Amino acid sequence: MSIVIQLRDISKKIRDETILKNINLSISKGEFISIIGPSGSGKSSLLYILGLLDIPSSGEVYVEGEKIEFTESSKIAHFRNLKFGFVFQFHYLIAEFSLLENVMVPMVKAGISREDAKEKAALLLQKLGLGGKEKRKPFQISGGEQQRVAIARALANDPILIIADEPTGNLDSKNTAIVMDIFCKLHMEGKTVIMVTHEIELTERTERIVKMLDGKIMEDLELSKKKC
Amino acid sequence: MNHIFFVTLKLLFERKRQTLVAIIGVSIGVGAFIAMASLMNGFQKYFIEQALDLNAHVTLKIKDEPDKERILRKVYGDNVSFSIFGAKPKELKDKIIDYKFLIKKFEKDPNIVGIAPHLTGQGIVRYGTVDKSATLVGIDPTLERRASVIDKFISNKKLDVLISDRDSIIIGKLLARDLGIDEMGKKVIITTPNGITHLFKVVDFFDSGITMLDQTRIYMNLKTLQTIFNKPNEVNEIIFRVKNVYQANEIAEKIKNETGYYTESWQKAFRNFLQLFKIQNYITYMIVFAILIVSAFGIFNIIMMTVLEKKRDIAILKALGYENKDIIRIFVFHGVTIGFLGALLGCLLGYGIQEFLASVNVSVEGLVRTKGFALDRDPLYFIYGVLFAFVFSTFAAFYPSYKASKLNPIDIFRSSA
Repeated sequence: MSIVIQLRDISKKIRDETILKNINLSISKGEFISIIGPSGSGKSSLLYILGLLDIPSSGEVYVEGEKIEFTESSKIAHFRNLKFGFVFQFHYLIAEFSLLENVMVPMVKAGISREDAKEKAALLLQKLGLGGKEKRKPFQISGGEQQRVAIARALANDPILIIADEPTGNLDSKNTAIVMDIFCKLHMEGKTVIMVTHEIELTERTERIVKMLDGKIMEDLELSKKKC
Repeated sequence: MNHIFFVTLKLLFERKRQTLVAIIGVSIGVGAFIAMASLMNGFQKYFIEQALDLNAHVTLKIKDEPDKERILRKVYGDNVSFSIFGAKPKELKDKIIDYKFLIKKFEKDPNIVGIAPHLTGQGIVRYGTVDKSATLVGIDPTLERRASVIDKFISNKKLDVLISDRDSIIIGKLLARDLGIDEMGKKVIITTPNGITHLFKVVDFFDSGITMLDQTRIYMNLKTLQTIFNKPNEVNEIIFRVKNVYQANEIAEKIKNETGYYTESWQKAFRNFLQLFKIQNYITYMIVFAILIVSAFGIFNIIMMTVLEKKRDIAILKALGYENKDIIRIFVFHGVTIGFLGALLGCLLGYGIQEFLASVNVSVEGLVRTKGFALDRDPLYFIYGVLFAFVFSTFAAFYPSYKASKLNPIDIFRSSA
């Protein structure tokens, strides 16, 4: 399996506090990984570095074997746009945009024409069970549906890696199950998914669990494949 | 740029109320600028046009004030300092010698299109029991036509009557009104400072629109005025009409150098007014500038507020691959679009105000007299208005846009969690 992203000796300091300590992590194509740990363990900080949203204090990040130079902000933005798809606890949909337009946002940035982006966004929404609601605004749909729109937006540019930060943290059990089903389905389709969560039961559906404590990886458990 | 337009236009049109308030702010600034500029410049241009049509572009004359120091300097030279504690006014002995020769000489100058002699003096005009002081101007109607556009201001175009009937006068419209004369053919008595009285017939009215002139001026035949002033073949002014009015200063200087007489260009003659107009313009533009600054602050506030409200959206846009420069472009474009739409609406507003002012049938009587407002409807004011709005809105939008680009998405995601 080819490595999608690799962290080598990553440390992150904020003021005098070291929140990540010498992290080494390789994620292969098609993996479904959960990162767990208590509050303040550094799991979100790790995720932000994995998503190239944050700059490590030391260490190296490789995406598909290419070393990331954090000074090249344009290139990093390009990577985030094309290679990564983000899903957050709070969906962060733009309130003024329709569901369709929210999904189109990363596509138009990638240079896809509006017509093509519209078509592709409609297909993605349909795939995630939101067909017929394309013109609605985020406030006109439920929390679970909002999160599904956020997943559709994450998938807009067909990324190599889906990064989810507590994606079910704000959802009820029914919607949590729906979202997890979507991630599983994506995983089955060959997508690489990294999910930060504090809900242990969700990790059972992933095939690898990274346990964090005090900025360190305490355990990196490979579970049996195809649990989804 | 497609992605910039995509995000900006959505933000703009989905936040209608804020956008509309900002657009109205800019449009008021631009509309006020257009209306005030056309009103102020219209008045000034009207005044200058009337003054230029009526008055000489260059005047050659005997200097009004006797040079008290001149005689002393003639006797004692330039190296002596002295003070004059009093000088008894004396009648000026200086006169323009052989004015006909001077007219012939400058007629050949290609920069000069017309020359006319004037004899001017003060007099009292009486109609019935009403006396008014007046400025008497003796003219040669044939030459006068070449040196000024006097015909334009003569109500019934009877300037030639001054040639055929030497006891006729053309009287300023306001002076006639003050005397109680409302029709032609009335007889008035003019008394000159040397005590001579003469009976004249009013053959036409003179209506320049410049209150100061219409209230005091009386035109008559040059020969007649020379006779009643007892100044045969004498003139105290020669007026020149030049091809290019903006060369009047240089031509005046040239005539002065060639003749030795005092000359005055129209710019010099009207320097007080021109200076006043300059001050008026400064005040006008300062007011308009203040309005535009206020509207720019409006844009600044609205974009700053948008940035603060949209922090999460900015963070997610960055996470989705939008770069700092994209964020700057989105919000600057936001401001520029408000500025541009405000400018367009301001142009309509300015045009509307112009139309309204043009339709107001008000009799303005002050420095100039017009029926309605004198407007300068130069399209350049619209272009300037749009440009100002564009520049102001770009500047107003830049700082909040820059601040937006510097937002760290991690801080926002962490604070939301």
